[in-house]
Amino acid sequence: MDEFEPKIVAFLCNWCAYAGADLAGVSRMQYPANVRSVRVMCSGRVDPAFIVQAFRDGVDGALVAG
Amino acid sequence: MTQQLLELTGIGGDRLHVDWVSSAEAKRFTEIVTEATEAVRKRGPLDVSKYDLQLRAAEMVVKGEVMRWLVGKQHKITSAGDVYGRPWKEEKLQQVLDDALLREYQKSLIYLAIKSGTTSVRQVAEQTEIEVLRVSYLLADLEQKKLVEFTGMEESIPVFAAL
Repeated sequence: MDEFEPKIVAFLCNWCAYAGADLAGVSRMQYPANVRSVRVMCSGRVDPAFIVQAFRDGVDGALVAG
Repeated sequence: MTQQLLELTGIGGDRLHVDWVSSAEAKRFTEIVTEATEAVRKRGPLDVSKYDLQLRAAEMVVKGEVMRWLVGKQHKITSAGDVYGRPWKEEKLQQVLDDALLREYQKSLIYLAIKSGTTSVRQVAEQTEIEVLRVSYLLADLEQKKLVEFTGMEESIPVFAAL
């Protein structure tokens, strides 16, 4: 537990990346548990202000996937 | 642009990852998440309290109208052309965007510094780590926009207040 575990917010498009994440879960693929997903209807919905706000609220990193 | 802005604030542009995955690419998704996690892990934990002023300035920039207009018009200006019907080269517009981003960011920093109680140009320059000459140049801009006000001299030092 010594290694630093970053907190990452992930904005995932409902139709692409979120479904991809879902499939990854269903097919039992392993991936880091550091991401906290936020489902958006389109990655175009993500405003740069969301990202700055997330950093201000204390995340270590952000991921936008569409 | 947001990555560039994060670089300016000092927290590092590689803390933000942007990528595309289709719904059938579960493997690719896991790869992207792993990659992003590793990059952020390398950066180490983020101490937000150190970057409070910088992040608030960044928020002002992304919520401000200048960058939003410029980015919104980007495609039109490079394809159909500007108001005179002249299409711009991508690189030329990118240069304009970069300059505007830096200017807007520094202006927001100066504004927030003055608002937090720093009054003289020299102190603002020290707090924001921007050159004194650049600070006074941007202050003139802020004054014109009625964001700050010149309130007089104190022991021959010009004093400013945020409106």
